[in-house]
Amino acid sequence: MDHFAIVTAFGQDRPGIVALMADGLYQLGCNIEDTCMTRLRGEFTMMLMIRLPEGIDAETLGNRLTPYTTPLDLAVLCRSLPDQAAARQAALEVPTFMLSVYGADHPGIVAQVARTVAQQGGNITDMNTRVIGSGEVPVYVMVLEIQLQDAQQADPLRQALEQLKPLLGVDLTFRPLESVTF
Amino acid sequence: MAIRPILLYPHQGLKSKNEAVVPTAPAVQTVVQDLLDTLAASPGVALAAPQIGHAVQIIVVDVSRKKGETGHGLIVLLNPVILAQEGRKIVREGCLSVPDYTGNVLRYEQAIVEGVAPDGRVVTVHASGFEALAFQHEVDHLNGMLFLDRIQSLSTDLFRRKK
Repeated sequence: MDHFAIVTAFGQDRPGIVALMADGLYQLGCNIEDTCMTRLRGEFTMMLMIRLPEGIDAETLGNRLTPYTTPLDLAVLCRSLPDQAAARQAALEVPTFMLSVYGADHPGIVAQVARTVAQQGGNITDMNTRVIGSGEVPVYVMVLEIQLQDAQQADPLRQALEQLKPLLGVDLTFRPLESVTF
Repeated sequence: MAIRPILLYPHQGLKSKNEAVVPTAPAVQTVVQDLLDTLAASPGVALAAPQIGHAVQIIVVDVSRKKGETGHGLIVLLNPVILAQEGRKIVREGCLSVPDYTGNVLRYEQAIVEGVAPDGRVVTVHASGFEALAFQHEVDHLNGMLFLDRIQSLSTDLFRRKK
């Protein structure tokens, strides 16, 4: 029976972080499965789904990784994962949408947008945000991928999002994600 | 003559070179018929010969199999090449030979494709939209190229770092 863990780690960006983490995991007998890693400004951040070797649980992995990650001063967290959460799933034909929201930066944009999406039954499956623009006039940009159970939920969600525009002072577009398979 | 299994990567037939064909070669008709039979039994709109295990340059495209699309209907092309393409766009693309994954690739809105019909006529197709994407994808297969080789941006990352 395979057992899985999630490892999250971050540290000041520099060359070699991925190599160090991957080598540590490999030396410990782990298999790196799905991952997402990106640089947030000066910080490199990693989320890795790991298949654990026999006899090592997530906590042990965390302890044994420390000697590998200390030289680059990475903050590391390991948590075990229910097996069903790590099971690979066939890509389903789920109605998927992209939402771009942007406007003058102020607190609360993410919270209100996410609350609206949740209230309408939308599931955020991917999200990126950035503060852009000049120092004096920072602009907030967020891009979300949203899955709906039923395409009929799209219109109510679109209307609810439209109502946010004057409230939050943002512009936004909500559109189907067209994916083609050949 | 037969519905063939669609090869899945890592089958190396998907990454190999494929030979140009002459329309009069007897094997060509067999491959074309296999492609048509397999396409008819598949959920897709287009296939390339290497996807069913024939290392030759033959594609079939029929975007009218998708609701709302008409294009040029069924087109069979031997030795197709893309002569010109215009209108860059990023498309979230998937492939029957690489299940359960899609990626954002750079494609073109319009494509002019030239090839030989099974009866030997040289055919030039001016394709646009979905049909143009299908031709670009299938011609890639003939060159051992998968959409994975063309992924342009990761996930929804629209904040591309400027070079």
